[in-house]
Amino acid sequence: MSTMELSFKLNGRALTLNVAPDTLMVDLLREDLGLTGTKAGCREGECGACTILVDGTPMNSCLMPALKVQGREITTIEGLEKADGSLEVLQEAFMGEGASQCGFCTPGMILTATALLKQNPDPDEGEIRQALSGVLCRCTGYRKIVQAVKAAAKARA
Amino acid sequence: MQDKMQDKNKTQVLTKARTGLEHLIKTAGKSLTVAGTSVARRDDPLKVTGKLKYGADYPDEGFLYGKILRSPHPHALIKSINTKKAKELEGVVAVLTAEDVPGRNGFGAIIPDQPVICGDKVRFIGDGVALVAAESEKIAHEALKLIEVDYEPLPALFDPRDAMAEGAPKIHESGNLLSDDKMVKGDVDAGFAEADVILERTYQVPFLEHAYLEPDTTMARLQPDGVMLVEGPMQAPFTTRRNVAPVLGIPINQVRVRQIHMGGGFGGKEDSPIDIGCRAAVLAWHTGRPVKISLEREEITIQTAKRHPMIMELKVGAKKDGTLTAFQGVIYDEQGAYASLGPKIPPAGGSHVHAMVMMPGPYEIPNVKVDAYLVYTNHPYGGAMRGFGAPQVHIAHEQMMDELAAELGISAVDIRRKNAFKLGSATATGQVLNQSVGLRETLEACAERFDWDRRLAECGWVDQAKTKRRGVGVAMGWYRTSIGTNGDGCGAAVHVHEDGSVLLYSGITEMGQGAFTVLPQICAEELGIEPGDVRIVQPDTDLVPESGPTVGSRSTTLMGNAIILAARQVKESLLDTASMMLMVPTERLEARGRKIYDRENPGKSLGFAAVAARTMASGKRMIGQGWWTPPPPSLDGHTGQGSPYHVYTYSTHMVQLVVDVETGEVALEDYVAAFDVGKAINPKALEGQIEGGVAMGLGYALMEEVVLDHGVTQNPSLQGYLIPTMLDVPDIQPLILEVPNEMGPYGAKGIGEMPNIPATPAILNAIAHASGGRVSRLPADPEKVFWAIREAGGPPQA
Amino acid sequence: MALPFEKLHWYSKLEVADYLVPTSLPQALDMLAAHGGRARVIAGGTDVIPELRSRKLAVSALVDVSRLPDMNAIESDGADILIGGGVTHAQAAASPLIQDKAGLLATGCGWVGSPQIRNVATLAGNLVSGQPAADASVPLLALDAEVTIASAEGLRVVPLSEFFQGVGKTVLDSSREILTSIRFKALGAKQGSAYLRLGKRKAMTLPMLVCAVVATAGQDGRSIQSAAIALGPVAPVPFRERSAEQFVAGKPATPETLAQAAETATAQCTPRDSLLRGSCDYRTEMVKVFVRRGLAAALTQAGCTIG
Repeated sequence: MSTMELSFKLNGRALTLNVAPDTLMVDLLREDLGLTGTKAGCREGECGACTILVDGTPMNSCLMPALKVQGREITTIEGLEKADGSLEVLQEAFMGEGASQCGFCTPGMILTATALLKQNPDPDEGEIRQALSGVLCRCTGYRKIVQAVKAAAKARA
Repeated sequence: MQDKMQDKNKTQVLTKARTGLEHLIKTAGKSLTVAGTSVARRDDPLKVTGKLKYGADYPDEGFLYGKILRSPHPHALIKSINTKKAKELEGVVAVLTAEDVPGRNGFGAIIPDQPVICGDKVRFIGDGVALVAAESEKIAHEALKLIEVDYEPLPALFDPRDAMAEGAPKIHESGNLLSDDKMVKGDVDAGFAEADVILERTYQVPFLEHAYLEPDTTMARLQPDGVMLVEGPMQAPFTTRRNVAPVLGIPINQVRVRQIHMGGGFGGKEDSPIDIGCRAAVLAWHTGRPVKISLEREEITIQTAKRHPMIMELKVGAKKDGTLTAFQGVIYDEQGAYASLGPKIPPAGGSHVHAMVMMPGPYEIPNVKVDAYLVYTNHPYGGAMRGFGAPQVHIAHEQMMDELAAELGISAVDIRRKNAFKLGSATATGQVLNQSVGLRETLEACAERFDWDRRLAECGWVDQAKTKRRGVGVAMGWYRTSIGTNGDGCGAAVHVHEDGSVLLYSGITEMGQGAFTVLPQICAEELGIEPGDVRIVQPDTDLVPESGPTVGSRSTTLMGNAIILAARQVKESLLDTASMMLMVPTERLEARGRKIYDRENPGKSLGFAAVAARTMASGKRMIGQGWWTPPPPSLDGHTGQGSPYHVYTYSTHMVQLVVDVETGEVALEDYVAAFDVGKAINPKALEGQIEGGVAMGLGYALMEEVVLDHGVTQNPSLQGYLIPTMLDVPDIQPLILEVPNEMGPYGAKGIGEMPNIPATPAILNAIAHASGGRVSRLPADPEKVFWAIREAGGPPQA
Repeated sequence: MALPFEKLHWYSKLEVADYLVPTSLPQALDMLAAHGGRARVIAGGTDVIPELRSRKLAVSALVDVSRLPDMNAIESDGADILIGGGVTHAQAAASPLIQDKAGLLATGCGWVGSPQIRNVATLAGNLVSGQPAADASVPLLALDAEVTIASAEGLRVVPLSEFFQGVGKTVLDSSREILTSIRFKALGAKQGSAYLRLGKRKAMTLPMLVCAVVATAGQDGRSIQSAAIALGPVAPVPFRERSAEQFVAGKPATPETLAQAAETATAQCTPRDSLLRGSCDYRTEMVKVFVRRGLAAALTQAGCTIG
């Protein structure tokens, strides 16, 4: 099987790779690039653990052929940490509110919330729940996640 | 400092004990510094950055990929298996059948009745009939297709009542009735004769899937020294080791099991790592190469353990004033194909006996009789899932209590006030609850916070068109701490180093519940240092003492006690050193805030690290070991009488919701869940357990069910198996009460499972209150609610 | 009967030899033609990828149409609204034009999958998948939409009422054809719409029932001039409930009319008893409730007084 050239920006860095035509984004990230912060929980777009940002918009990387990101800017959870090791407000808020339990949904939740706060810096509870409804969590009952997003919005205001 | 983060506003901790037993608490009179505060989770920084490695995140270097050929038949004889073509496929390293299992061809958490590889017959769709190891996952998958199996289908059994019938085909040689248990107290006939009202009801619950988000994975490798290393996300490394060793035919000390951080377990990863762990180990044994087996989501649903389905028949008698006089119950507890965690471990271990003990509910009832049948069928098998038999029976008794209240014309809260356990109550097993009984307190606190009377008065039609009705519901619950077996011991070791840093060796696993945060808190409290000074060692059976499984809401309590014992042993050595350094008798020394000082002259103090260094230099003990076992449980095999579990957690939940009476749709609006936890070691982590447990109970009530048709799972993916989303779960308000447990660390009791339990019946009761529809067969999805309302003759019109 | 191998054993990697990204429509059609029926169009991929993963579908190549020009717009020429073949559900749900002039479609699009899914899944894909439960198909059917299909032979326009052929089957062959646009009349004055949906949870769930209604109020503001009622998934294809539509046309807008319309609305419903989606009896009952509620909501929005 022949490979194809793929160029995109990953967490701020330009990359050019050769990928097989049937590679999915989730596997490119996890297996080829070693970015295992993106999780695969169901591989059919139901759990949202594989969420990445494509040009700032949350999408399921398990349903995305890697070649679709040609020319796009991709952000994964690894891209949120700044060079000096400091974290985004949302990441701090997730820790402060106790919004992670097993942590498997956390990257998808944080990335989805990142997109929400960029679009809507002061969301109400309903807007938060609607925006994050595509990421399943089996541990927390979601309450502390909602509180963390609220806390982050407040901290950034 | 994040370790000191405290959030009193959001955490309602009522510290007033009502039992009058404060003097019995180990820490009485001592104000705690670390235990009791919402210390931030230890692994949070790794989780929010995506750095935490779960099973599937380990690099794939040098592994063979293991795959399992599954039976397409629910019950069949294996006439022959031909693996020739599969073996010939390039890249295939091993294709194994039953005769290739080196030792015992069976595994199981309690009874090894599940073949590692089926030899003569298969018992459910998904049973493993051959194993393949290949150079790539794709080749392994292709090889499975090339294995030819000739089956002779047998009649299959899908209902426990059919499987119990005389002449039913035998699923296992020993017969289909795996366990037949009884609980008899008083005289139910006399009790029913005394009753003014007698109600009889049947409730039925389906198989449930844990739906932990992290799929299972396991890695097995034969080390150069001949030791088999099995690694993976798992709740019970010691149980896995106990199975892998005999399957390979080697001593337990030749197997090493290492736990990897879990993305959720909920009881499910007690069982599944035994299954794939044994299978990967057998493949690694044969090939001499590391083998990895990972399951896809659909395979998890098809292959691994579930929550037991039950058919529960209840008969209850009461006086006009609501006083219960008799309770009779029958449980048809469907085990499915294999025993897993169902059967009894004497005297009161196993989910089946637990369900029986819990069935009459947390109520004083003088006359009780329960017959509980645990039955094999050709369905997937029931194992442990958050509550271990208790969620099912709570669904029955808590709905029954509401139906009884309605029949008697008294309120759902009042009937519980009348009968709920209090200090000194005797349970259905005759156990006298002589300490830490905060059930009534949870009821009153919950009713106050929820504002039950006002909300009750405000229920009724929501809209003028009379399509939606609002209702409220209440349910109570109780849950044991520990597992009721004679062998429920728990070991820990605490190693103080010369710089004052500490390693804590524990076999309790982290699955998101917070054990790796709470256990160091307890260790730090006892040594008088900061939680950050204590590093917990990743559970590894080669390193940590036997701790038992991370199940049964036992971790904080049992392991907490073991840690306290271990810490005290090494602390004695440290205080001895400090005593000589300060010239102060040890009885006057206090360790707190990384200092050891003279209580009578606090200025006279030493740093913890300095004392540790001197202790080390003087050759004194630096390691403490602790072992704690709950008081011996008892349960008579014939009468079901005894004291099966040493202490219980109690809870009351209240919920408000709206039912669309024309469609059966339900929307939750408000939720308060109150708990008597003994002592909250980490209130924020505890709240997380409550909020998550309630959400899971909501799923059980409204949407979750593994749908089976002739043994075939119809909804193996998360598109078909629905768990609650962020839009389904309301803002759940936790309410924490502390009625100290005299046998727990700082008064603590177990909490992991309790929140899951009353949530389901509370919601079902609120649906009935709102709509008139009583759903007796779960889940209460829109259709079931719709027909229940029809059956009730329509919604209440008031 | 034994269960098929694919239902018991999973291998999640795809097996597709070629991934093609055409930049013009003719090029895309050529690429499809070159694979002689063994290639398939992919847009958002939210239906195609799971089908490939579960081996319900096997193809030699995927032809990604998401970079075709002029496919991503939502436009109006006054009377008609034109939705490009590349428009996503998120785009449609958030479009002020759709919200204003085709409210039922905006609502329906807001129900598809999750926000993540809606960010990539296209309306065209929703139609082409041919699922009777599709959240965009049912409102588009009520809007009397027509679709433009491109093939090597040229363009053809097909009314949506003739588009669906069976579960997962449409008149479009996605191994050689591409749905380029969707066109329907914008709702006018005196028109209102409703989109109602029944599911087992409040997000990310396939519907047990979808009902979309477009209603036109009579000049008197108390009668029904006409109504379009579309339903799914209560038959192999989403469909228009013509008998109820005919019944209400010209009738006074009373609760009795709506109730009678609801009773007649089940004529075409043939839902199967489904272990996952509910019994035939229940869904038939729900059709009545939804048609009644849908008519009431659409008429109210149209400025019609019911009474």
